[in-house]
Amino acid sequence: MQLVHPLVWWLWALLLAAFVIRTDNALIATAVVCALTLVVLKLKSKSYWSGAFALSAKLAVSIIAIRIAFAILIGVPMPGTVLFQIPEIALPSWMVGIRIGGPVTSQRLTTAVTEALMIATLILLCGAASSLASPHRLIRSLPKAMFNLGVTLSVATSVLPQTVKSVARIQSAKRLRGQNIRGLRAWRGIALPLLEESLERALDLATAMESRGYGYHGKTSKYRAQKFQLVDVAMITSVLYLLVLSPILIAQFTFGLLLAATVLIVALPIVIVPR
Amino acid sequence: MITFKNVSLIYPNAQRTILEALNFEVFEGELVLVIGHTGAGKSSLIKLINGLVPHHTGGILTGEITVAGRSTRELKPGQLSDVIGIVGQNPINGFVTDIVEEEIAFGLETMGIAPEIMRKRVEEVLDLLSLAPLRNREIATLSGGEQQRVAIGAALVLNPKVLLLDEPTSALDPIAAEEVLSILHRLVHDLGLTVILAEHRLERVIQFADRIMRIGDDGEVAIGKPGEILEDSPIAPPIVNLAKALDLSEISLSVRELRRRTESIRELLQDLPLPTKIVESNSKILLSLNNVSVKYDAKYALSNISFEIKRGEVVALMGRNGAGKSSLLRSAVGQSPIISGTVLINGIDPVKLTGKNLIRHVGYVPQEPGDLLYGQSVKAECELADNDNGVPVGTTQTIYENLMAIPNLSAHPRDLSEGQRLGLALSVILSANPDLIILDEPTRGLDYVAKNKLIKILQKLVVDSNQARSVVIATHDVELVAEVAERVIFLAEGEIVANGPTREVLTSSPAFAPQVTKVLAPAAWLTVSEVVAALDRNAI
Repeated sequence: MQLVHPLVWWLWALLLAAFVIRTDNALIATAVVCALTLVVLKLKSKSYWSGAFALSAKLAVSIIAIRIAFAILIGVPMPGTVLFQIPEIALPSWMVGIRIGGPVTSQRLTTAVTEALMIATLILLCGAASSLASPHRLIRSLPKAMFNLGVTLSVATSVLPQTVKSVARIQSAKRLRGQNIRGLRAWRGIALPLLEESLERALDLATAMESRGYGYHGKTSKYRAQKFQLVDVAMITSVLYLLVLSPILIAQFTFGLLLAATVLIVALPIVIVPR
Repeated sequence: MITFKNVSLIYPNAQRTILEALNFEVFEGELVLVIGHTGAGKSSLIKLINGLVPHHTGGILTGEITVAGRSTRELKPGQLSDVIGIVGQNPINGFVTDIVEEEIAFGLETMGIAPEIMRKRVEEVLDLLSLAPLRNREIATLSGGEQQRVAIGAALVLNPKVLLLDEPTSALDPIAAEEVLSILHRLVHDLGLTVILAEHRLERVIQFADRIMRIGDDGEVAIGKPGEILEDSPIAPPIVNLAKALDLSEISLSVRELRRRTESIRELLQDLPLPTKIVESNSKILLSLNNVSVKYDAKYALSNISFEIKRGEVVALMGRNGAGKSSLLRSAVGQSPIISGTVLINGIDPVKLTGKNLIRHVGYVPQEPGDLLYGQSVKAECELADNDNGVPVGTTQTIYENLMAIPNLSAHPRDLSEGQRLGLALSVILSANPDLIILDEPTRGLDYVAKNKLIKILQKLVVDSNQARSVVIATHDVELVAEVAERVIFLAEGEIVANGPTREVLTSSPAFAPQVTKVLAPAAWLTVSEVVAALDRNAI
């Protein structure tokens, strides 16, 4: 069973991010997100990290919500069609150009939504890459020269998901001690045992790696060398084409064509990656 | 194979020497068992051998340690990885990759072994440890025993001459422990591997040991044949205690040997009446589960579980890893989402109980007692608990002082030994005065002395005259169950397969039978103390 090289998933996501930033279009970003969701649902790995996409989706949604809320409440007055009015707070005269409340224009909302969508897409791409190829696996493909970085990242990427589980466990223990599990004070009671446990885990892993000779031998080898295959090449080149050719596609043809091409290329792994 | 010459170890800021003037030699193909009280320095000794102490942990080391002719003074653990393999206390924390096969290959990859040779070596190790069917599995989805075997395989793949293991069976159920130990036994006998093993649960490992090393609390170490060391040791498995109680001329270490030597006593015991416990049938029901099912991701963790626990009962919950014990305990305190059925504590659904109302009905000591603790010292922790539970200042501390021989009030909870930490967590729970006390795997890190103390505490709790409490213990420790529980509920695959008196349940399955039962079978004796009492009564 030969999977896609973990590095390819990350490169793929990175190129898509560049593409989304370059086109700077809400519709394209939405298309990428939709296709991406399909890819993750179909192909996500079975490791601890497969939940990363769901987590990043939550983060993305809250970012969009916060950005829109702020756009409605605070901002620089902008001309345009007024959608609705909210009560305005009068600010001192030296704070000219800033307003709290007041008229909300459609232009302002559109800009805010587009901006938020861009950031959300980048976060989702990062989450998707983690879900598709566990960062833990990725680190093992690091070159030998990065030994210390490799240990540090290995420890971090394996401790982080376990920490999420520990929080749930400690929270339930706290509830059983009859304590409140929400609020700032409760966090102190959770953070302390959590920190201890994470440290202990990290040390355990570092000792285990050391005891098995990690980093002490000049040359390392691969048990099953992960070769770049046709699938990997196809994934990278397709996205690369999309990135390079997008301005031409828009200039020469229609926006609709670019949109269709985006969906097809992002969703391509569903068809070509073996499961 | 391993020589210690005049080795002493001190940690900075420590109040005592961990090991003092240690001289010994371990020969090729020996299995040496390291025993000692919790915190006596068993783990330190294990880690000294491959240089993790002091290279990784700090500490001042004097003397000379050599392994296969190489001194550990200059060499770091990584440079010794081809002669020494080590399996830590929690193997799950030490896994570098996600897949069984990759994990086993990891050590070879770091050494730069050619892929063709690597394939062959990985294949050999997979076969040796019967891991071949699991080769493509995610390590996180394996059972505890399987993970332990993967960790051993990952260490063995480098062809070490010495294998070090720190408490390899304490988290395992009896059957998984048996699997791991029989593999170790085979490695020693077939490959001449030298094994050093630290373990609390002597009843599981004693029969495999060639020699025993006992670390005293003063840092002094005695090494010798198991029979000599255990003769006068306070740390001894039930089989040794039984031999001593029966006044046999010498102790035996295997069930087979002791059975041979106790034929006449067995005949006598066969005819003596077994102690019976009078169960008060009219006491009130404290906890009842009715047709409870719990589901995680399309898989039933519990299906249609029904049972009752009455006031004044001590009930043990047993079963293999993953049988649903933890799910059952969590649902009993309203922590698992139940898809059908009802749970009632004192007639109330625990899901509806929060804060102080919950802790008055049920107290839960989790597998990691440290989860409950967040004070900066034992004293502060006790005050926090008084405050949380709404009891007069000093209540928790009094309970703690009654439980512990040396209360050690100024220590940080993290610096306590496992037994002390459990005692502190138990005191915190007890000060709220709950009717039902739940303990999840309480004896995992406890030595025999600490365990006996826990047993006394639990027995005192249920017979407390003011309040008839109940205790539920989920555990793999059959000897603990034999001592304290009146009833055993046995789970398998989320279903109750047995629910009856301890004597009946434990003696019916050879894997879960306590040592005394194995020796005295077919008579259903469970513990040394009941055998002694019966013989005394007979003598009068």
